[in-house]
Amino acid sequence: MRYALNKAAWYTMAFLAAVVLNYFLPRLIPGNPVDTIVARMAQGGGSEGEARQQIYQTFLKEFGLDRPPLEQFLNYLGNLLRGDLGTSFGNYPAKVADLIAASLPWTVALQLPAILLGWILGNWLGVLAAYRGGWVDRWAFLGFLALSNIPYYCLAILLLYLFSVALPLFPSFGGYAPGTTPHLSLGFVLNVLHHYTLPFLSLVLVLIGGQAVGMRSMAIYELSADYVHYQRSLGVDDRRIVRSIFRNAMLPQITGLALAIGSLVGGALLTEVVFSYPGIGSLLFTAIRQNDYPLIQGITLLVTVAVLAANFIIDLTYGLIDPRVRAAQVGER
Amino acid sequence: MNPLLAQLLSKGRFRLSVGILLLVVAFAVLGPMLDTRNPLFAVGGRYDPPSANAILGTDVIGNDVFLQLMHGLGTSLKIGLIAGLVATAIGVLIGTLAGFLGGVVDEILMGLTNVVITIPTIVILILLSVALESRTLVSLALIIGVTSWPWTARAIRAQTASLRVREHVDVARLSGAGTFSIILWEILPYMFSYIFMAFVLQLASAILSEAALSLLGLGPDNTISLGKMLQFAIQGEAIRTGAYWAFLPPTLLLTVISFALLLLQSSLDEVFNPRLRRA
Amino acid sequence: MDTLLRVKNLCAAYAQGGQRVRAVDGVSLELRRGEVLGIAGESGCGKSTLAQVLALLARPPLWVEQGELWLDGAVYPLGQGIHLPRELRGRKVALLPQGALNALNPTARVREIALEVIRAHEPKTTPQEAYARARERLEQLGLPSRVLEAYPHQLSGGMRQRVVTVISTLLNPKVLVADEPTSALDVSSQKAVVRMLRKLLEQGVIEGVIFIAHDLPLLRSVADRIAIMYAGKVVELGPSEELVEAPRHPYTQALVGAVLVPEPYIRQKRVEGIEGTPPDLRSPPPGCRFAPRCKYAQPRCSELEPPRFGGEERFAACWLLEEVLA
Repeated sequence: MRYALNKAAWYTMAFLAAVVLNYFLPRLIPGNPVDTIVARMAQGGGSEGEARQQIYQTFLKEFGLDRPPLEQFLNYLGNLLRGDLGTSFGNYPAKVADLIAASLPWTVALQLPAILLGWILGNWLGVLAAYRGGWVDRWAFLGFLALSNIPYYCLAILLLYLFSVALPLFPSFGGYAPGTTPHLSLGFVLNVLHHYTLPFLSLVLVLIGGQAVGMRSMAIYELSADYVHYQRSLGVDDRRIVRSIFRNAMLPQITGLALAIGSLVGGALLTEVVFSYPGIGSLLFTAIRQNDYPLIQGITLLVTVAVLAANFIIDLTYGLIDPRVRAAQVGER
Repeated sequence: MNPLLAQLLSKGRFRLSVGILLLVVAFAVLGPMLDTRNPLFAVGGRYDPPSANAILGTDVIGNDVFLQLMHGLGTSLKIGLIAGLVATAIGVLIGTLAGFLGGVVDEILMGLTNVVITIPTIVILILLSVALESRTLVSLALIIGVTSWPWTARAIRAQTASLRVREHVDVARLSGAGTFSIILWEILPYMFSYIFMAFVLQLASAILSEAALSLLGLGPDNTISLGKMLQFAIQGEAIRTGAYWAFLPPTLLLTVISFALLLLQSSLDEVFNPRLRRA
Repeated sequence: MDTLLRVKNLCAAYAQGGQRVRAVDGVSLELRRGEVLGIAGESGCGKSTLAQVLALLARPPLWVEQGELWLDGAVYPLGQGIHLPRELRGRKVALLPQGALNALNPTARVREIALEVIRAHEPKTTPQEAYARARERLEQLGLPSRVLEAYPHQLSGGMRQRVVTVISTLLNPKVLVADEPTSALDVSSQKAVVRMLRKLLEQGVIEGVIFIAHDLPLLRSVADRIAIMYAGKVVELGPSEELVEAPRHPYTQALVGAVLVPEPYIRQKRVEGIEGTPPDLRSPPPGCRFAPRCKYAQPRCSELEPPRFGGEERFAACWLLEEVLA
């Protein structure tokens, strides 16, 4: 219990640090941020006259610049806690929370299956390479390393060029055919899957590589463990031995899976940018181009919260999953 | 010669990676000396294919891709160099202080490090670069450096803590040397290779961070870099119009750099971390 | 008494970096039905390597170069590239390892470990049958059956070693090769493990034990006969009492003198009482391998290897005995 509270305190601190950073973002801009924002937006060919005045009022109120600094910050915190992330001015008067809510499903649908599949295949291939050893291991290992190390957006660019331009097998942008509206029909679903393939593949390949590299070294470590030797001494067959190695090497990898899921939102923003795929990445890209600070803030906050939450949950539950860690934690107290 | 260094030099992987990196650096340093034209000056039309005029063709606004590649690589390396130096310096400072002093200082510094590690780097990068009045090469490099020191700090702290108990450190302490003097003369020289390794890795990841930021539209203004080339290519629809010469060179160059650094890291790891070696 | 296990002229070596270190060199030994055969020596004398070979566990970099094995009525040739069937391990010969914590899979409950061992040999056994068998065995030996539900780290050191003993003997192996099973334990846990081994022998669960230790007083209380190893060779063998009371080989004498204290608190691995260190096995000295450290050494000791003097029951390999016994 003390452990849990201790962890909770740490993560609250990290969270506050991130919130403060977020809070200061527009305020770091010299001068009155609202003036600057509206001016910058006007440069971008935004709205005129009365509308601009209205926008100006909205933001002045939201930022509460006429109040003392502490009250501004508390005001900001209060809005956050109510789930109010402010108003976007790139898409004025849309609320930031609504814009994010509309994009998030695309990102989750793209990444979650990619992370899960990459994790499972990567683990499996990693153990296989470690157990086989010899040249299979050496070449597989090199392959995994190469895959895991190529910057994911470079792989995305290469795949996009190879399979939608050089060999036009897949569409080159968007989440579904332009001109259609999302609806539930076989044709539309197939169309969505067709658009889905390349971005999905570009993520899965990188994830497989990274996971396999980690799993392989864990499995090599387990292979030389005394318990494997003991199992052998009692005539336990290779199949059963590999199974226990797999289990023991995989348990620590659960951390990696949870972390990957936590960093899902911010982990592959550029995939969406490269493929012009709808989602948080594309939303952020547009927000940056339009200097849409509230929206940028909202997205970075979401990314942070997801990562912190995943870390916190791992720290709390990992002991329950792996008896070895439970032993270590008990030992610490 | 240091036995670890000799072991490194006998590894093909190590020599290959160093060779590639030297070539890359030579291209960025010598290229602009041999060809002094301005890379931001148009030499042709939109996406002219490779020709005698421009051996890697032109980009979306008619600039020479080959020239841009040379200068862009230079910018990326400069950013990597500055960011790597900054990150390594902060990491070494915090790591040695925490590891050497221990106690409360250690707890505070490592607590800070852990907080910074938990907040996703990309978030800090985005927030800081959005807030910048104007993004220059140097300011971007500083931002990248300031956000990427924590891993180095952790590693250096562990090294320092193990060096701290060595005899020569005790001798220095007994002869009245101050904290900084001991760190400078009795600790740092013994982990020079380690610090260098950390620096190389920081340099590499800074180059990749620059590219990622540029792709998001947060790259350095008024200059060309590998990331900016990719950004222009993507925004200018080079991929979809099939102008491979405009986006393949920076993509491949980034991949080659990161692959060479991976080889370097794995050969260093194998020498410094023998547990991963197979019997 | 009839022979349960016998090896003849066994040689085993570690191959490392093009070099061969012959850790077991021409060992011949016999284990009889119902007995505990002790094997003693300093660290690096080859006794643990012998244990690995006898437990049929030699794998690279350890190679069995030659030898012949009689095991419970069957004859198996030993040598490079010869693989004995996996089923022998656990059923005919089982290992009782040192360091029980690491021997048990840290993420499995004791019952899961037992199930795995039984199923590896009898795939059709249901989990319930397997657990029942393990429980019965635990109760037979006076251990609480609740340990089945525990993870290895939840057990005390002594209990862990007893649990490992139960698992090792779950399939009623004929021969148990115990490789320093008590060296990490306190005295009372040591005694408990030794009592357990005796009980298993009496109940006929196992039919013979090869007990490897560096602790002669302990061996004397456990073993019926003791073999002393030095630099990969058996230098003396005899009934425990006689060998410890009246050692014939100078090495055994030194070993006895060095550790013969009422309670074996001294558990360091190298025997302090003997000058010098065991020879480098990459280039063993000619003649008697103990000669460089032997205070009785004569010129011929470092030229000619001494043969065994004495009978099958009681012998020592030392030139000093030539006149006494010949």
